[in-house]
Amino acid sequence: MGDTTPFDEMYNPDGSVREPYRALAAWLEEQPDKALTLMQSDAEAIFRKLGITFAVYGSDEGTEKVIPFDVIPRIIAAQEWRKLSKGIEQRVKALNAFLYDIYHRQDILKAGRIPEKLILQNSAFAPEMMGLEPAKGVYAHIIGVDIVRVGADEFYVLEDNLRTPSGVSYMLEDREAMMMLAPDLFQRQKVAPVENYPENLRRTLESVAPAGAGSSPNIVVLTPGIYNSAYFEHSFLADQMGATLCEGPDLFVDGGKVYMRTTTGPERVDVIYRRIDDEYIDPLTFRPDSMLGVPGLFNAYRAGNVTLVNAPGTGIADDKAVYTYVPEIIEFYLGEKALLQNVPTYNCTDEEQRNWVLANIADLVVKEVHGSGGYGMMVGPTSTKAMHAEFRKKIEARPDNYIVQPTLALSTCPTYVNAGIAPRHVDLRPYVLMGDEVRITPGGLTRVALKKGSLVVNSSQGGGTKDTWVLED
Amino acid sequence: MRISIRHQMSVTPPAGSAHAVLQLLLTPTSGATQKIVSWNVEMAGIGEAAQFKDAFGNTAHLVNQIKPEGELLVTVTGVVETTDRHGVIGRPGGEPVPALYRRNTPLTKASVTLYGKFRNSKDSRLDVLHALMARVGELLDGPAAEGQSQSQTQNGQSQSQSQGQRPAEAVLVPHEGVEHQEAAAKLPRPPATDYAHAFIGAARALGIPARYVTGYLLGDEDEASCFHVWAEAFDEGLGWIGFDPMLQLCPTDRHVRLAAGLDALSATPLRAVPAGDGTIEVSLSVTVE
Repeated sequence: MGDTTPFDEMYNPDGSVREPYRALAAWLEEQPDKALTLMQSDAEAIFRKLGITFAVYGSDEGTEKVIPFDVIPRIIAAQEWRKLSKGIEQRVKALNAFLYDIYHRQDILKAGRIPEKLILQNSAFAPEMMGLEPAKGVYAHIIGVDIVRVGADEFYVLEDNLRTPSGVSYMLEDREAMMMLAPDLFQRQKVAPVENYPENLRRTLESVAPAGAGSSPNIVVLTPGIYNSAYFEHSFLADQMGATLCEGPDLFVDGGKVYMRTTTGPERVDVIYRRIDDEYIDPLTFRPDSMLGVPGLFNAYRAGNVTLVNAPGTGIADDKAVYTYVPEIIEFYLGEKALLQNVPTYNCTDEEQRNWVLANIADLVVKEVHGSGGYGMMVGPTSTKAMHAEFRKKIEARPDNYIVQPTLALSTCPTYVNAGIAPRHVDLRPYVLMGDEVRITPGGLTRVALKKGSLVVNSSQGGGTKDTWVLED
Repeated sequence: MRISIRHQMSVTPPAGSAHAVLQLLLTPTSGATQKIVSWNVEMAGIGEAAQFKDAFGNTAHLVNQIKPEGELLVTVTGVVETTDRHGVIGRPGGEPVPALYRRNTPLTKASVTLYGKFRNSKDSRLDVLHALMARVGELLDGPAAEGQSQSQTQNGQSQSQSQGQRPAEAVLVPHEGVEHQEAAAKLPRPPATDYAHAFIGAARALGIPARYVTGYLLGDEDEASCFHVWAEAFDEGLGWIGFDPMLQLCPTDRHVRLAAGLDALSATPLRAVPAGDGTIEVSLSVTVE
């Protein structure tokens, strides 16, 4: 791992086309010159029209950007997907069981399988959640699992996202755009649908409504507002599932129940899909200066009168330091071996490992424990000597603040770039819904590093997306 | 001892507020050291309030006011029968695991000067805790306090009200020192808070679960009765034990216990949004019945 040629998802080493890509290869052959160039510019027009934009923090323009879309889909074979989705389901079930346990009896800590300190002293652990009974025992209802592929049969989980994973709107819009751009391609093979995601989301949210909410619970999407980088997605999802999009001041708590202000008077709210970070949801329980949240909301939740999706405190399960224990967590709660592998991770608080890391930093990937979106991260092989030195210093100063992993040779997919079709590195974020049952949308969001050789796929760092196809048998 | 309490506080939301929500941690529970004979929390809207157990096992009220006008008055009255058990609370049911209270918060970061000398102590945990209580008193109210003023809290908070002498009355002062708390909620903070935080932070640094406790203190000839705070630390043998580092004693039958939490913020007796100028103590009487 790490130093070999990256796995090409379309071509075998001998140049022949891999099975799942045959129909696509044939279709590409048939396309006249310039067809892809035209498709690419059509795609841009479609996305501008759909209004899919995102804001980059710290960018001078401060404006909305269209996330780059690549017109060549990424294809996953049916049996590959079956294996992946089984592994994902196992993982999210175990992580939810873990959350239930650490906010109740803490058996896994008593058993000494995870150091108590790592959980109870972790800033992602929410003591306010202790003893709370979430509906159906589910904490993380919406999960994005980041997966990378390094071989024909070798997948690794890069990280789990159990707070408020974003990007699902790109998955949906990528498919919509692709169906407009190349309808004929969909007729050559059976592609598993993703369009039912909003409906499944709705079903999942309904299934975790508090007891007494009736047969059609009132669901709202709570957004921090138009300045949030994912505001488009919040409004898109609310619209797609027929829920009301609201901001903190639109909601209020009365008698321990949550209501929405409407022109026809207060309306009871049962389930809140909140896209506001934990510490801002309720100034009475968390940050007293939060203007985004709803005073009393957390207590209404504790009293069992409303469901928050995802539950506060789920971040402890996707903490980068806890990540290394996920195989242990799966064994402890399910009595099974993990089906999906973790990326080997070096612990810098261990002196021996730290010394090795400092000596080999040029070959490694360094991530901040609480960082996300590619911020606070360094990819050794593509960074300068000055960057290496800077991160060495950072690790020495705060070894517990970083995790270090080998540089993975992420698989590549054919991608349409200026020079024509060329391989570019990709990752995959499948979206999982967990309520009365586990619902995994086939495929997910493929992110692609558009720069040649780059391994950073984050949209905030110049990455793009691809439509992701799971073939049906 | 049979103690009678009457405590009035007020908070005034800014004029024109559409809605105010108050969280009250003002309901004690019976336990090893006290039996609640009667207890009553009164304020407009309390009838419709939601009552629930918070994560730390406290009984909380959530009261809301639509278009609040002027001052919101909260009146607590009650009678409690207390027993002196040298501070030993034991292991009451319905509480989170003690290990939770090893967690340090921004308010309870203690300086190593407080606890350093106990790090390799061979003494029993109980002995360490008593020595630690003495150490906190020594550093916070002795003549040496001048030079130690940053030793027990972060952000350069000073202990101006408490240095050198014990305050005659625990005035509810606005909370300061933690940036994000300044804007919306000025919390009541008796000077005893500094003592409790220092003790708690030091105990946690030594790996001992410790928590912040609010309550009332019955006064005597020297000291007036007051709203008071202290600490509790966990011992595997005895369970939770109270330590009052400002008074340098384990709570007696003059202490009435209200609520517990990680720190002053999580055990705040009255938290309101919007809070206006914060919580003001209107009147307090704690008497032997």
